[in-house]
Amino acid sequence: MDAFYASVEQRDDPALRGRPVAVGGDPDKRGVVAAASYEARTFGVRSAIPMARAVRLCPSLVIVRPNFAKYRAVSQEVFGIFRRVTPLVEPLSLDEAYLDVTENAWGEPLGTRVARRLKDEIHEATGLTASAGVAPNKFLAKIASGWQKPDGLTVIPPERMEHFLQGLPVDALWGVGPVTARKLRARGIDKLVDIRATDATVLRETVGSLAEWLQQLAQGVDDRPVISDHDPKSSGNESTFAEDLRDLQTIRREIQEMAADAAAWLVRHERYARTVTIKVRYHDFETITRSHSDAPTRETDAIVKRALTLLERTEAGQRPIRLLGVSVHNLGTEIAAPPAEPQGRLPFDDEQVMSG
Amino acid sequence: MELVVRKNDLLRELQLFQGIVERKNTIPILANVLIDANGSQVKLLATDLEVALRSTCSASVAKSGSLTLPAKKLYEIIKALPETDVRILEDKSGVRVAADHFDSRIQTLPREDFPSLPDATGNGRAALPRSALKEMVAKTQFAITGEDTRYFLNGAKFVMKPDSLTLVATDGHRLALVEVEHKLGVKEESGVILPKKTLLELGKLLLEGDDDVMFESGENHLFFEVGGRMLISRMIDGQFPAYERVIPKGNDKHIEFDRERLTNAVKRVALLSNERSRAVKLEIKKGKVDVTSSSSEFGEAREELSVDFTGAPLTISFNAQYVLDFLNVVDSDVVMLSLKDEVSQAVMKPVGTKGYDYTYVIMPMRI
Repeated sequence: MDAFYASVEQRDDPALRGRPVAVGGDPDKRGVVAAASYEARTFGVRSAIPMARAVRLCPSLVIVRPNFAKYRAVSQEVFGIFRRVTPLVEPLSLDEAYLDVTENAWGEPLGTRVARRLKDEIHEATGLTASAGVAPNKFLAKIASGWQKPDGLTVIPPERMEHFLQGLPVDALWGVGPVTARKLRARGIDKLVDIRATDATVLRETVGSLAEWLQQLAQGVDDRPVISDHDPKSSGNESTFAEDLRDLQTIRREIQEMAADAAAWLVRHERYARTVTIKVRYHDFETITRSHSDAPTRETDAIVKRALTLLERTEAGQRPIRLLGVSVHNLGTEIAAPPAEPQGRLPFDDEQVMSG
Repeated sequence: MELVVRKNDLLRELQLFQGIVERKNTIPILANVLIDANGSQVKLLATDLEVALRSTCSASVAKSGSLTLPAKKLYEIIKALPETDVRILEDKSGVRVAADHFDSRIQTLPREDFPSLPDATGNGRAALPRSALKEMVAKTQFAITGEDTRYFLNGAKFVMKPDSLTLVATDGHRLALVEVEHKLGVKEESGVILPKKTLLELGKLLLEGDDDVMFESGENHLFFEVGGRMLISRMIDGQFPAYERVIPKGNDKHIEFDRERLTNAVKRVALLSNERSRAVKLEIKKGKVDVTSSSSEFGEAREELSVDFTGAPLTISFNAQYVLDFLNVVDSDVVMLSLKDEVSQAVMKPVGTKGYDYTYVIMPMRI
């Protein structure tokens, strides 16, 4: 969200619109700026600077006391919009989050369009503007989101990534503060891509444990998944066996145990699952999943039975197996199924062959 | 750049670009059409990064060059002009579009910003019969879901086998499949998922002309060359559901309907169906089928159709829209409904069609 607290205040009080506004503490009591409106920013007022300094920079500054309850309510609205589009929402703060939109409820194939629609929905619901960055990974998305503010949308398609990386100064990175940046510059590392040519030992001496991470970023690599903190959407476990499993009885026993664990997890988390999925990786790494959806349950027997039935639709016992997994999905807090959809669904199997 | 083009020549092409360019204006250049003038023709190109269209139009080029113009605005202007020659030229003041006594200057965006698109390589090119393709697209595209989290359902699967072509689409409730016998000269079966928009635009391109469509599958893109125009589409990644399994083989109750009479009955009766479910019931008895509906709010309706049926009575409900979607795209006089029971998939087929086999599977409603 752009200048989040300040924008909320300007939205709710027309008298504040178009004026330099800072949300934060009392300048006489060492208060700091929590958020500055874009008008205030032109005077150099930034979040985290002392309010007294902010007033010196901008004598016409309007100081508004923060109303966190209000910001939280707006934040919930915004996150509600996010979660309707994807369950994979990782909040960074009240007004910032990573979203993995590879699969999204709108079925938009392009992240750019998801971002555009999210921005529109946020604006429609809250009257506020947000800036979005669309990129193949988290670190680039984060940088892209700050590229054009307010109301920005910056896209870094994979084919432009290298071009983008070339122009990136080291301190554009999240986690590289002024001190680290100074140390890097002292070694002649101005740009992120300079790290590629830097000796690993030198880099470690300079920035310590950050070295490996920076080396990855310099290649544009950031494999961190978007981790949702919200309602669990699924749970499961899988094991790779020291020796490939060939005996069907053993395989069934393993599945049975994992299914029982999943049921226990459901009881602990007070959830019921509609879908049980098993995963089988054969000795040659071909990996398949088999799913079955039915009335919600957390009964051990029911989940074990579903998992074992799914096993019959694999080549367990015929092909050696190196990994087995059982997971539960489509979780709810109610045992009652949603009202039966009068329109039937074609009986497709929810199964896909995945690459190992 | 400076060129003169016939209004109608340019208009015909620009019209085809209206569905291609991006509407949401996320990336401004995607609202523009790239105009490349050289020799005796202009090449036109537009894309929303999902689908792209290249076409050409004859023109007399006084000065070659290329530039971009907003596709929608340009179309509106050309459309509004009288039937005459249109001049498009770039000078110091910008890009001018002029004709007759009309003159305009249009905002342009740098040509360098226009995304580069892959070219067809000519490898593995296959000629697809246009009329068959036209049937396939028209008879399946409505079954693609608009917005589904299972994003591979947001497209239709195109399967090429050594002796047949198949296009199949489903939204999880009904499935439409058209198979055409055709010796393609391929040895192995292959398949791709085409986005909904691709089918829509392909359908438009297929309307005029009758020559074959040249098809090529690249690494991430598909190319359809239709009458000198090239439609380039992204492929949808993912596994299309195993559709063969939901097409029932053992439906043993067959009822033939006069297509027009069934269509009219369903349309009329559906007017008093439940507004949300749009359910119509087929009460199948000896010698007749009653199409019925009821709505707690408005009342109920019934229409009797005589049919040749001698089996045990059976009642099955369908979403009226799903039935009409099928009836609207078939052109045979007679359609066949095949059932197993009240709850399993029903199959509808046109009777006596030539050149293609059309199968429509509907899941009944539980009422």
